[in-house]
This record gives sequence, structure tokens and C-alpha cells, in this order.
Amino acid sequence: MDNIASLMHGFSVALTMHHVLLMMLGVLLGILVGVLPGLGAPNGVTLLMPLTFSMDPISAIILLTSMYWGALFGGSTTSILFNIPGEPSSVATTFDGHPMAKQGRATEALTYAFLSAGFGALAGVVLITLLSGWVAKFALRFSSPEFFAVYFLAFASFIGLGGASPFKTVISIMLGFAFTAVGMDTVSGNVRLTYGFDELLRGISFLVAVIGLFGIGELLLTMEEGLRFEGVKARVSPRKVFETLLTLPRYWVTLLRSALIGCWMGITPGGPTAASFMSYGLAKRFARRPEGFGQGREEGVIAPETADHAAGSSAILPMLALGIPGSATAAVMMGGLMIWGLTPGPMLFIEQKDFVWGLIASMYLGNVVAVVLVLATVPLFASILRVPFAIIGPLILVICVSGAYTVDSAAFDLWMVLIFGVLGYVFKKLDYPIAPMVLAMVLGDKAEDAFRQSVIMSGGDLSVFWSNSLVSSIMSLGILLLAWPLLTRIFRLLRPGRSTGTTTA
Amino acid sequence: MSTNERSLISRFAMEVVTGCIALLAGIVVVLGALEYEIGWDEAGPQPGYFPFYVGLIIIVASLGVLVQGFLNRSRTTGEAFLTREGFKRVMAFFLPLAAFTAGSYVLGLYVGTFVYLAGVMIFQGGYRWPFALTVAGGITVFFFVLFERWFQVPLLKGPLEAFLGIY
Repeated sequence: MDNIASLMHGFSVALTMHHVLLMMLGVLLGILVGVLPGLGAPNGVTLLMPLTFSMDPISAIILLTSMYWGALFGGSTTSILFNIPGEPSSVATTFDGHPMAKQGRATEALTYAFLSAGFGALAGVVLITLLSGWVAKFALRFSSPEFFAVYFLAFASFIGLGGASPFKTVISIMLGFAFTAVGMDTVSGNVRLTYGFDELLRGISFLVAVIGLFGIGELLLTMEEGLRFEGVKARVSPRKVFETLLTLPRYWVTLLRSALIGCWMGITPGGPTAASFMSYGLAKRFARRPEGFGQGREEGVIAPETADHAAGSSAILPMLALGIPGSATAAVMMGGLMIWGLTPGPMLFIEQKDFVWGLIASMYLGNVVAVVLVLATVPLFASILRVPFAIIGPLILVICVSGAYTVDSAAFDLWMVLIFGVLGYVFKKLDYPIAPMVLAMVLGDKAEDAFRQSVIMSGGDLSVFWSNSLVSSIMSLGILLLAWPLLTRIFRLLRPGRSTGTTTA
Repeated sequence: MSTNERSLISRFAMEVVTGCIALLAGIVVVLGALEYEIGWDEAGPQPGYFPFYVGLIIIVASLGVLVQGFLNRSRTTGEAFLTREGFKRVMAFFLPLAAFTAGSYVLGLYVGTFVYLAGVMIFQGGYRWPFALTVAGGITVFFFVLFERWFQVPLLKGPLEAFLGIY
């Protein structure tokens, strides 16, 4: 068992006082951004990113991933207590979590949420531990055409399985590509798409885009809905937590099913949001007593939370092993990896053993730390939301704008944030998916390079993407996914009986 | 969506507007790509190749969105993209934000932050002047210490900082 030995080594890297303290700091900051509306995991991690540029990569990634866990937990806290999802991925938790809280079972709901989230996250990390060595070894056979094929597959699966209008997903992805093309072309050295604006020579930073799209866009949406916090008081008594803990094994079927869904959606770029909805839907469908969902059923909290966190943590696997992030936050972290001078992908497992296994080990520890910390601090963070929104809203905004400035120290980025904020708002309202755009902005250059290198290798022959069984099967799968929306439509036309559609993921 | 609230912009209108903007963006990208060679040479695709097709795909997809928009017309004309109430609330947040951005661009982020926070608290939050100024001042000073001293990441500064000689 190579992986176990590597993992033990990883623990020896991760378990220093310095790293554990960073972990706790990260989790606390994460809960904070998770609780605050408008600040979520992707832009929380983005805002922290410039501060990590001077850290060593292991400390930096531990801080950022811990923040990610914290944000996921914080998002569920507000879902349950305030009926306001702090994160898009915890929307499904509001369905049953908030009714439970209103019935005076807030502690129970929170405990179920945190513990099943912890379970989901651990399932994801175990999966990473077991599979990462194998996936990386497999990926070592990849060269440029295979990498391009995998990128293609990732984007095709957004289009085929995303649930949004395929045209809208395509626009979102392609705009992302266009944004990365702005500025210096890494292959030819030409300056592209700047239209004579000097400010665009630097290119458009995906970090600035994320802060605008997720941060400002989300705030605008929140304001439009006329936000009002009407929370349920949270007093978490240790005894009640313990009693709830003892009842958790009763829901083992839901836990396992949801963890599986989460892991799958995390590895394929479905992401935590889709995972939590799908898991909720399936829990409802397979429940022995289907009634009571939406009015405070335990499974209604456990299912989305488990899947959400399983997806969140397993999204790290494709990011490390293939260089393809499984969620928007993972995409941001991958951008960070590249800024720190690491190249995500299979070589990371050979050249940066300490980094990879230190990270994986820290994920075990970080999630345990997160469960304990979040249970201990729920009342504190819930009280933050009682600060009037006339103060907290503008404050979040100032943090977003200041954070965007720190990315490049460019005054022009203040305007970029505003523009991306409006874009994020309009896109959210019209169901244009945003995560694919972020992914395209992070992967754009790599995808273009992989494409160009492949055709340079083959002397301009596109059949290089069908030159061996590996690359051609990945490409074919991608094309199948791309055509999926079309195929389902044809099937439906052929069968006029029209079966009812499945749950929207 | 509740139908009693008066709709300002219908979803259909917004779908069409966004589709047109995407179309425009696609055309802009294609034009930008055409500044370079978009074909192939012995070293593979030339610099304009990738952006050119990206732009082309945006154009095609935005036409798709427009067609879909018109096909769903009967359903989306009645649906509100933004109600009057919603518009007011968004603008009450967005206009100060735009002013904050413009102000910070000229005066620096610290002055911008102070004025913005104090202004929003007084004029929208209904707080008294002394309280608002104290809170806004406190937060601004905290940010200054946080970014400049602890994180060592300088924020944008303007004429006031230059006058005071603190950078």
C-alpha cells in the first residue's frame, strides 16, 4: 500500500504547530465568509490568495483548503438558522433545515448538518487517498493531445450535464476563453485582444473576475430580494449534540448514497451545488416514508450536506492529478498553485510529494478541526448576522473591492470588479452558469497550449486527437456529452408518449 | 414570482438584450483576432486562430440564445426580470457602489472606504452623524493597519495620503 505510506509521510508534514494553527485560522475565516451573504468559498479563497504569495506552498494550500471547508460549514449554518443559504451549494439544506430550526430543533439540524458534512468530506478524502496515486500514474501516460482531450471532456460535461441551456453554457465558457486570451500570448509572444488599451496588456485576472462574479453579483442579488435576517436563536448544548450523534448511524443508507453522489459529482466537474440538489432529490424519491420532506425531515438535511462536502473535497482529486478542477473554488485554488510555481497534474505527485500528501493529510485533519470549531462557534457567527445590513453589506463590498485591488495592485481592476459584478448579476438571473466561465479562465491558456502543441507534434493534422485508443475514447466521450442535449431531444421526439423528465441536477 | 408587483423589465426583453450583447462580444472578439493571422503556418495555429474560433462560437451560441428566447416568448414576456421595487433596491446599492469605485479610483481606497461607509450609514441606514463617522473611521483605520502593516499589501492611495506623507 504505497498510498498509506505516503499518507503517513503526509501527516508528518502537515502535523506541525504552525500548520495546525493555520488550519484553525483558515476554518474560522472560512466560516465567516460562509456565513456572510455575498462572500462565499470561491471569492473568500480568492480574497485570501494575494496574502499567500509570500508563503511556502504547503502552508498556503493548507490555509486555503481549510478556508474552503470552513466556508462550506458556514454556508449551512445560515441555511438552517436564517433560511439564507450562505453558499449556493447549501440552498438544498434550507428545505428541511430551516423548518427543523423553526420547530425548535435547531441544535439537532445543525448537528446533523455538520456531522454528515464531516462524513461526506471524509469520504471524499478517503477516495482521494485511495485513487490519487493510481490516477496520477494513469495520467503520466498523457501527452498534449490527451490533456486537450481531458479539458475538452470537462467543458463538454458542463454543456451536456449542466442543466442550463446549452447555448448559455457555451457562451459562458467561450467568454471565459476570450478573457484569458486578452494580453500576452504565451506561445507566439503577441499581444492579443487589447484593442489598444494599455490597461489590458496585463490580461484579465481570473481572481478579479471571481470576486466580481461571485461577490458583487451575489450582493446585488441579495439586495434586490430585500434581505431581512429573521433568524432562529441558536444555543448549542453539548448534551443535545451528543444525543443527536448517537442517532446518526440510523441514516446510514442516506449517508452512503449521498457520499457516493457527492464523490462522483466532485470528480466530474458537476460541482457541489448540483451534487446537493441531486442528493436531496434522490433522498426524497427513495425515502421509505416520502411524506414530510420540506417540513423538517432529518434526511432532508443529511442528504444535501453529505453530498455537498463529499463533492467539495473530492473536487481536489482531478485538480491535483489532472490539472482539472471539479468546482469553482478548486479552480481558484488551482490558479493559486500555478502562481506559487507548481504545475498541477501528474508530475506533481512525483516532484512535489511533500506538497501533495501534506495537503491530503491536512484534509483529514482540517475537516475534523472544522466540525469541532463550527459546533463551538455557531452562536458567535450567528450573532454577526444580527449586525444591521446597512453596515455589513457595504463592509463586505469594501472587502471585495479592496481584495480585488490587492491581486495586481492595479487601479483599473476596481472597474473590472464592477463590470464583472454586473455580469454576474445578470448571468445569475438569466440562468447562465458562472462556474464554467471561471474554469475556462483558469484553464484557457493551458487548453490552448495543449491544442497547439498537439497539432505542432502532428504537423497540423487534427487526427492526432484520434491517434490512440486513450485519446480517442476521451474525445469520443466528450463529443457524446456535447451532443447529449440534442440526443435527449431527439429521443423525446421519437417517443411521443413523453416520459416525465428526471430531476433537474 | 408574484404577479402583483409591477414588472419593469420582462425576462424576455432581458434575454434578448443579453443575447445581443453576447453577439456583440463575439463580433468584437473576432475583430480582435483578425488583427493577427488566423490560419496555420508550419508552427501550427497562428496567434489569431484560437480567439477567432472562440469568437465565432460565441456568435453562433448567442444566435441560439436569441432563437430560444423568441421560441419561449409566450412564457417569458409575462415573467419579470426586475420589478420596480427590485430595481429601486438594486439601484440603492449599486449607485453608491459605483460612486465608491469612482471615488476610490481618484482618492484612493482608504478615503473612498471612509466616505462610502459613513455615507451609506447616514443616508440609508439612518444613523446619527457621530456614530456613523466613528464606525466608518474605525473600520478604515483597522483596514489600514490590516493591509499596510500586517499583510504588507499596500492598497491604492490618493492625494490625501500623499499630503499626509504616509506611504
